[in-house]
Amino acid sequence: MRFALSSFKKDIARLSRDKVSTLIWILIPLLVGGLVTTLMGSDVKPHGVLLMVDQDESFLSELIAGAYTAGELGELISVEKTTLEEGSARINEGDVSGLLIIPAGFGTAFLDSTPVTLTLKTNPSQTILPGIITNVTEILLDAGFYAHQLFGEEIRLMKNLGDDPPDALIAAIAVTMQNKIEAIAPQLDPLVIDLEIVEPPPKEPAPPLALLFLPGIIIMAVMFSANGIASDWWRERELGTLRRLIYAPGQLGSFIVGKALAATVIIGMVGGLTLVVGFLYHGIPWAKLPSSLIWISISGVALFAWFAALQMMFNNQKTANIVSSMLLFPLLMAGGSFFPLAVLPGWIAAIGRASPNGFIADKLTTEITAGSAWAIDLNSWLTIIVGAVLGLAVCAWRLRSGFARA
Amino acid sequence: MLKVEDLSKNYADFVAVDKINFSAEKGQVFGLLGPNGAGKSTTINCISGLLKPTSGHASVAGHDVVSDGKAARQNLGVVPQELALYEDLPAIENLRYWGKAYGLRGAHLESRITEILETIGLGDRARDLPKEFSGGMKRRLNFGCGIVHKPPVILLDEPTVGVDPQSRARLFEMVEAERDAGACVLYTTHYMEEAERLCDSLAIIDHGKIIAQGTVDALRAQLGALDVLHLNGGFPVDAIKAAIDRLSANGLPDLEIIAQEENSITLTLSQASQHLPAIFAAITAAGGNVSETSLRSPNLETLFLLLTGKELRE
Repeated sequence: MRFALSSFKKDIARLSRDKVSTLIWILIPLLVGGLVTTLMGSDVKPHGVLLMVDQDESFLSELIAGAYTAGELGELISVEKTTLEEGSARINEGDVSGLLIIPAGFGTAFLDSTPVTLTLKTNPSQTILPGIITNVTEILLDAGFYAHQLFGEEIRLMKNLGDDPPDALIAAIAVTMQNKIEAIAPQLDPLVIDLEIVEPPPKEPAPPLALLFLPGIIIMAVMFSANGIASDWWRERELGTLRRLIYAPGQLGSFIVGKALAATVIIGMVGGLTLVVGFLYHGIPWAKLPSSLIWISISGVALFAWFAALQMMFNNQKTANIVSSMLLFPLLMAGGSFFPLAVLPGWIAAIGRASPNGFIADKLTTEITAGSAWAIDLNSWLTIIVGAVLGLAVCAWRLRSGFARA
Repeated sequence: MLKVEDLSKNYADFVAVDKINFSAEKGQVFGLLGPNGAGKSTTINCISGLLKPTSGHASVAGHDVVSDGKAARQNLGVVPQELALYEDLPAIENLRYWGKAYGLRGAHLESRITEILETIGLGDRARDLPKEFSGGMKRRLNFGCGIVHKPPVILLDEPTVGVDPQSRARLFEMVEAERDAGACVLYTTHYMEEAERLCDSLAIIDHGKIIAQGTVDALRAQLGALDVLHLNGGFPVDAIKAAIDRLSANGLPDLEIIAQEENSITLTLSQASQHLPAIFAAITAAGGNVSETSLRSPNLETLFLLLTGKELRE
């Protein structure tokens, strides 16, 4: 095994001279990750502006303006009052989510129960926020209709009270309305069913979308470096050093172990760097770093071994590189490096998880989003270790069966 | 020290090496001389463990290369025909790495590296990368990597291919130094002059078979004092053959046709320069004409020609 250490040092020295490749392995995933995070906007919620042209300026029109920003809606929508000209110009430019025009006489018409038209223009280039605004407007209209059905007489009385209504009359109206509410309460809230309220177990908040991209980005770096280091078998063959290795007595196993160790370190460094950037950006607890790093390093060796085994099956380096690269990108696509498995349809995600890198990314997602470190199950660790050993065994077989001799 | 018995290597129906036998001793350079494709490299590959012989045996320092391959390889140093170097590791690191591959460690390894760097003349370039070296320097480093563990048996597979004359002379000195230090060297080449200069004994190989074997002097003696006369021109085959046979029967008994075609003929005879007028006259009388003449005195190349009817470098 002393020769394994010599081989390890030799490969580290050689691979560390190729700084450009190492930089590319790191920079491409970081660039993709940066773009994705920017596009996803991290955890920022969408926010839209509803312009309101209030030509009525009554109590009721004020009530409507308030309805759009009540409660949690206020986080999504803000209402800005404006003139008809400016509002029309801004909605035409696509600057806002919607424009609501409340015509003059709206309050009076509502109290008189006479037809009146509210105009709502929405921004066709947006989908979610205009939909919410439309739904809120429809709910307000329904509320107005039911208010008239229940309290039509009281509303008309209030309208005719004048500027100084007697307190007794106001009290009488209030009592009447209260009685009506109490009368219809059983219909509105019929307690005829004995309900047992079972609260669902508290759901862990779903991790932010940008965080779900992180494992795929890290595995992309691991895949690039694993594929790149795997091509070193071919470089050694072209150099003739594999042939010289065969001349040496019984050193093949140590040579392979040395190469695998060097791959572990290089992939660990490349993946580790992207991991640290991700941990810093998303504020992931550092306690999860060692387990995540070990996972990607061992997984990286498994990927390196299988990429190498694949490349060693071909008769020339060019074909080996082409096939290997052709396989790399579909695997990245399927395995969640461009779209997190968690947001893909179930059957596509299942295919992705069955791919080697999808499996690795999925377990890394578990690790970084779980409540505590070392969340990856024992079976997954065993699977990846066995996969790495089998891959290296195939490489050893190819070396003995002619790859080194050619 | 190195023994090859009835060694054969077949690729399906093609016989690359056909039951060859030879042996070489300590302090001896044994040459394997033959044209490209004769089976020299296949023989080396069988001895070095790169290829498994189809039949027969080879042993290195008493260890069979198949049944006791590890011990055989430990006693073997191979300098392959193609370079086998890490171009992106300094020369000294190449030597250190391959030294470790053969189990050398510590002070012994370091002193051996110093010794080798001195031998191959790269002491002042030890920290440089081979990719910055000339072809000859790479060849020398390639040689150094093959002998860093001081093997008792060294296989050199055409080590001077593509090497400039200066580096070639340096390689010869290195081979001689190893021989003088007691190594048994198997040297393959298709350059007759290399074989004549370096080899104590040699085997001439063609189409996988050894066609002549012995010391250089003994092989030369096989030729006697026969010169080789090669003529180009026009030579009606039957008429010329009859004319040469008549000449042979009438005063030139050692005159013999080695190879004959429509436009060339190769003859052997002793003191050929004295008999050129008679030969030309006989050829002209038989309807032939001579446009070019070459006369060679006896050497291994002419022996190869004599044995195979073709040039060594064809």
